[in-house]
Amino acid sequence: MHATPPHRVRYSRDGLRRVFFGAVLFAAASHAAFAYTVTLTAAAPKAVYLQVGVGSFTNTYLNGGQPGNNTTINSVSVTVPGAAVGNGTAQSMTTNSTAAMSFWDNYIFCNVPGQVYIGGFYRTTGGATAAAQVTATVPTSLTSASGQTIPFSKISWATSGNGDTGGQPFPAGTFVSGGVQNVGAMSSNTWNESCWAFSYLNDSVQAAGTFTGTVRYSLSSP
Amino acid sequence: MVGDFFLACALSIIWPAAARAKTTPIDDSGTQAIEPAVTLRWKSATPSRTGADNLMVGSTTIRVRINVTPWLRRSGRIYLDLPAQQPGPVSASWTTQGRLQPGQVHSGNRMLVYSRPIAAPFMEDVLTFQFSVDGTLIRRTFPLTFHFEMDEE
Repeated sequence: MHATPPHRVRYSRDGLRRVFFGAVLFAAASHAAFAYTVTLTAAAPKAVYLQVGVGSFTNTYLNGGQPGNNTTINSVSVTVPGAAVGNGTAQSMTTNSTAAMSFWDNYIFCNVPGQVYIGGFYRTTGGATAAAQVTATVPTSLTSASGQTIPFSKISWATSGNGDTGGQPFPAGTFVSGGVQNVGAMSSNTWNESCWAFSYLNDSVQAAGTFTGTVRYSLSSP
Repeated sequence: MVGDFFLACALSIIWPAAARAKTTPIDDSGTQAIEPAVTLRWKSATPSRTGADNLMVGSTTIRVRINVTPWLRRSGRIYLDLPAQQPGPVSASWTTQGRLQPGQVHSGNRMLVYSRPIAAPFMEDVLTFQFSVDGTLIRRTFPLTFHFEMDEE
């Protein structure tokens, strides 16, 4: 019984030494590191670009071009000869757009003034997403100064592109008269372009005059 | 033919054992990033027609300080190892201020950055990294880990 306290004390000392030694080792080990980690974040991962008619790029895609804003509103028009009004022969329209080259590679993709360039892209990180949609907001009709009207549904368009053989991202169509209609789609991270050739159906007799209307195109990403 | 066969077998067993060096991770606890995070931007602002050009790139500068005390006054080969990790393949290239060698590496591989006698307990250099990763693999901010390791001669 009497031997117990010193024995206990001796153990306690050893125990303290072991604990202290262990603490030193732990402190040294906790400061060592055997890998370095950096954090990577995508900045401005989403971008959209839509060009209908003329657009702005600092250079071609192949030369690192950057897209820019262009507020130009281009027109397509046709003057129907009096003898041909309403005869059912579609009248080809021409544009004041000068955009014939693709900003992708400077290739003469469209033929002006008979075609309007439409193109763009939808940039995003992550896997393939739902396509971005291009829509047209169309008034009910074109109107003249005297208040006469022609339904927008009298205008349609064909689609193609020089050198293209497959389907077009912006297919042929006919305007609705008043409303929003889908006119094409862009898969993520791809460049899309087509050339539209507009025509006036000319299947009804209209009063003489200049009829105008404006269609707004929009690109919406998921 | 039988003799040749046995000779070839013996060589194939002995050779890897003789060539293998002991690889040890190096303590890099003194390493600090001069810029805390890497911002990735599209290498090309616009995509290609085929959707193939989706690289994002970003750079950062890191003050590397590795503890090579265990190999002091010995020769060794130091590698920068970029393990394969999420979100997928990553490339890293770097320039240095001369203490370590510049280079580039794809994830899942390593690149030699030093191959001389170890003369000081710590080795320091400033590395400017450029990272490249396919943007279609990036869904959120992600960590990228690399380390230095020693092949003892």
